[in-house]
Amino acid sequence: MTALLTDRGGRGSRPRGRPELYTSYSSDIALLNTPAKRAGVLAIVAAAFALPFAVSDQVLVLLGTGLAMSVGAIGLNIVTGYAGQVSLGHAFFVGLGAYTAAVLSGDPDGRLVGFGLPMVVWLPAAGLVAGAAGLLVAPLATRLRGLYLAIVTLGLVFLGEHVFREWDSVTGGPGVGRDAVQATLFGNSLTAGGAVLSGAQKVYLFALVVLIAAAVPARNLARSGVGRAFAAVRDRDIAAEVIGVSLTKAKLLAFTISSFYAGICGALLYTITRTVEPNSFNLLLSVRFIAMVLIGGAATISGSIMGAMFVTLLPRFTQQVPRFVPFIGQGVTGGGLLTNVELEAMLYGLLIIAFLIFEPRGLFGVWLRVRNYWKGWPFSY
Amino acid sequence: MTRFGQSLIQGLGNGSIYALLALGFVIIYKSTLVISFAQPALMVAGATMVVFLTGSFGLPFFAAVPVAMLLTALLGLIVERSALRPMVGKPVFVVAIITIGVDITIRVVVNRFLGNTIRNFTSPWGLDTLRVGDVFVQQRFLAMMLTTAVVVAALFAFFKYSRTGLAMRATAFDQETALAQGISVGMVFALSWAIAGALAALAGTFVGTGGSIDQQTWIIALKALPAIIIGGLDSVGGAVIGGLVVGVIEALVGTYQPTAAPWLGNNFAVVSPYVVLLIVLLLRPYGLFGTPEVERV
Amino acid sequence: MKQHRQWPRFAIVLAVLALIATGCRDSGTTADVEDVDTGAAPAETTAPTDTATDTPTETAADTATPTDTGSPTEGTTPAGDIAFDTGVTEEACPDAVNPDNGCIYLGTLSDLTVGPFAALAVPITDAQQAFWNRVNEDGGIGGFDVNVTEFVRDNQYNPEIHNQEYQAIKNDVLALAQTLGSPTTAAIIEDLNAEGIVAVPASWTSEWAFQDVILESGVNYCFESMNSIDWAVENLEGIETVMAVHYPGDYGGDAAAGARIAAEANGLEFTDVETAPGPDNQSGAISAVASQQPDLVILTTNPTDAGAVVGNAAAQGYQGTFIGTGPSWNKGLLTSPAAEAVQALYLASGPWTWTQESPGRDAMEEALGDVDPNDGYTSGWVWSYPLKAALEQAAENGDLTREGLLAAVSELDDVDYEGMLPDEAGNFVGDPNETAYRGSIVSEPNPEAIVGLDVLQDFFVGPTAEGYDFTQSCFTTTAG
Repeated sequence: MTALLTDRGGRGSRPRGRPELYTSYSSDIALLNTPAKRAGVLAIVAAAFALPFAVSDQVLVLLGTGLAMSVGAIGLNIVTGYAGQVSLGHAFFVGLGAYTAAVLSGDPDGRLVGFGLPMVVWLPAAGLVAGAAGLLVAPLATRLRGLYLAIVTLGLVFLGEHVFREWDSVTGGPGVGRDAVQATLFGNSLTAGGAVLSGAQKVYLFALVVLIAAAVPARNLARSGVGRAFAAVRDRDIAAEVIGVSLTKAKLLAFTISSFYAGICGALLYTITRTVEPNSFNLLLSVRFIAMVLIGGAATISGSIMGAMFVTLLPRFTQQVPRFVPFIGQGVTGGGLLTNVELEAMLYGLLIIAFLIFEPRGLFGVWLRVRNYWKGWPFSY
Repeated sequence: MTRFGQSLIQGLGNGSIYALLALGFVIIYKSTLVISFAQPALMVAGATMVVFLTGSFGLPFFAAVPVAMLLTALLGLIVERSALRPMVGKPVFVVAIITIGVDITIRVVVNRFLGNTIRNFTSPWGLDTLRVGDVFVQQRFLAMMLTTAVVVAALFAFFKYSRTGLAMRATAFDQETALAQGISVGMVFALSWAIAGALAALAGTFVGTGGSIDQQTWIIALKALPAIIIGGLDSVGGAVIGGLVVGVIEALVGTYQPTAAPWLGNNFAVVSPYVVLLIVLLLRPYGLFGTPEVERV
Repeated sequence: MKQHRQWPRFAIVLAVLALIATGCRDSGTTADVEDVDTGAAPAETTAPTDTATDTPTETAADTATPTDTGSPTEGTTPAGDIAFDTGVTEEACPDAVNPDNGCIYLGTLSDLTVGPFAALAVPITDAQQAFWNRVNEDGGIGGFDVNVTEFVRDNQYNPEIHNQEYQAIKNDVLALAQTLGSPTTAAIIEDLNAEGIVAVPASWTSEWAFQDVILESGVNYCFESMNSIDWAVENLEGIETVMAVHYPGDYGGDAAAGARIAAEANGLEFTDVETAPGPDNQSGAISAVASQQPDLVILTTNPTDAGAVVGNAAAQGYQGTFIGTGPSWNKGLLTSPAAEAVQALYLASGPWTWTQESPGRDAMEEALGDVDPNDGYTSGWVWSYPLKAALEQAAENGDLTREGLLAAVSELDDVDYEGMLPDEAGNFVGDPNETAYRGSIVSEPNPEAIVGLDVLQDFFVGPTAEGYDFTQSCFTTTAG
């Protein structure tokens, strides 16, 4: 990131129209190393901040949920995409983060356990507790590979589900759940409507800020030595060990960081969805995250974000389909060949397959193709 | 003592369901090196077929089950040809995720047929019990155990003594060499999926006896996953033993845990296989009978 | 060259934003459309022709202001001066029975796919649609037809999803014709109260008697269990121990609380066994019943799990009696593997049943036509009467706004159930201790009967329920 601010001379002396000519090391490894990238990212961020004023509240809540899931998807991408450790247990860490946030922020006099602490405490605490859990789980990962690891993490999800279901004083029990708390920052509520911004707008902006704060370090991690160690562990772990990359340390770090992100995601989700129910942190949620990573693009941060937004917005799109396509029925009582609920489930499965077969790099791969086409235009062949 | 006996029988009965599912999985893995998460869908598909064959088509139970097994084997074949044949050569992880996608798709279609109501089929045993001394033994558990034993024995005999079984074993050992020897590896792939489909259908039938089939039944198949891992990914015998172990542990914990250790919570029996899984893997990272992976760098 | 690279990016971003905005526009609020004069449907999800105008530029302009509470697009109807705003339109309903009437939109949040009560919820929803269709065929209410088909959402019996779907439809409906589930409705009750949205619950928990916005009908689970135990003590022999096997949350917890109170009142030994939904999760309950052998089990689950518990407990030698609360029964149990055990050991309690004769029941049979009889239909039908009465009262008062409807509810002391409930039921005014209806029925399984049940004991109030001081919901009183 410092390269953005320093070394203006290095970049300034680049001839125009030659953005990929790097004349200094810092501009080479910079996060946003071409003017186009800088302008593009700025535009996207500006558009994202401007969105709340153009779009209705319901969509904002949906988008906010998508942003929160993006944080989780980034976490999963770190451990599965970058470090190659297949983890089906992401839902467990998300749940852990959500309940840590719930307990720390909950009403001390309420029906369930709560401590009434402010957001600056519970948001990072959610991440830290989940990260600590990841740290505990990691030694298992160092011993296992491939499917064995995947099934063990799956077992973690089931165990976690069981604990959440049984620990009613914290979670409220299955089918009952626990109410959300009002998140406040310096006394201003982040979820209730106020004079200037409505509740949904605030929530969306909050999620956006947290996402940016989470995505930039992740991106930096990916291009740092740690990130390269992850890639080495993913590609050829025995060879990596031979050249001196500590496998144990890399795997430990990957799980811990990924769980930290999952915890933050859980805490964010908890503020957005208003009620949290213990049965939500199940295998299906884990598979959703895996789908986000795969559809978006493994081992890319922007891919995680794209994948998360895509998967979160998918139900909204399939709800509109019956209007355009005659043989898809609306809701569950509508007739037709398929109802839109079933269509969504099938699309979900089919999309995963389609992306894996046709574009293994996911939505990010699609973006790369588009970008490369236009880079070479009009000589794009 | 009677409760122990009852739990043991129940455990072995349920264990045979998991054993059949695990067996199908391991057969696919050994021949094609593909990790298939589509077993739950095949199981529910098979069970639904039995429901419709005995219900709308009016076939007797003992005729409906083999027909359902054949049809599900066909389904497995179709899945293999359409979704997995194009994926030969892709990384293992990718193919595993594709099987998840296949699983979701098949389940959506099957749920359409199941609808929202409870579906029953009339099995010859229902919930009838046999009294052996003080122990109430449910007849269906005995039937399950017997059928599984017969099927497993038949499979072992098939693998050991028939030409096709030999071909499959050869393919599992080394695909390239088998190809070089003139074995049709494609046929082996297709056959392994077909066998897995048939086994899943049988498991689904067992699930349906004494109970009902609805849209949530597929979750039962997830218990086969610890069975596979405990037994070892590439061990056929391990799969069977793993399945039985999981069933027995689940039943015993279900009977004794509420009184012996209530602090573990209600229904701890559902997650107890995973605890056992963790313990087994800590001691033997490749399962009880699995072969450790040897990788060339 | 740089220009070229930026344009596609911007174009893509714009396209994505436009797509997103399209999604939002379609379920926009009444505040979205400033066309009181053109009279176009504010609820844009209705007419398919709306989509013809879906261009990216238009959607950006059309989409709502941030504050989405109902805007005062007041209007009058042909029938007279009735004020209305959210969820009511001058435009006729899609596929309207009376094309000259306006439209009142009611929302439905039900367990239509994967939750434990899907088999009941679909008949409930169908019955309600038949009910309101009949109302429309009789001319509607105050010059408006009632639409309950446009805003039907699935909650999967999950409070989180219930809340999400509720937030999605709440700005388009006047009231909720159905919100299924006790814990799920508990998740939105605060918002319902805050917004003053009247809701008809598809559940019978005792908490609803204390909520002004909830229009409950029929005895609650608490009194139902009390009556069941009182009846059993009086009519069955040797009842000394009672076990309550129930789901967690308001549904099961309420019934268990009632069972505990009645057990204490009758001097019986009481055990509480909680069980999770899913036939796979019943081994704990089955084990408890088979090993502890209580004389009476109050079963509060769904039909599949009830079948699993009864069947397997019987297979392990249990010979006592099960009394299952209303939603635990389904005729399919009599053709399931547990059928024998169910016939021998099971009795069903409930707030009402199809076989009870009344003009309302006949009207329901006529409206539904040829369906497989199921008490889900009965319940959906009966539940709708208070809302109809409230809407009619509000229309009479000339105020079909949310406030108007709530005011009408506060005046509602007499609801015409067309004989399906006794006259004393249907009073929503006054102290719940006086007005809450406490009568339930007990039935036994019979494969030949309409819903598989023969009424053993028609509406009765047992001594425990009669004498109980009803000042707060049972669930919080006894449970934690």
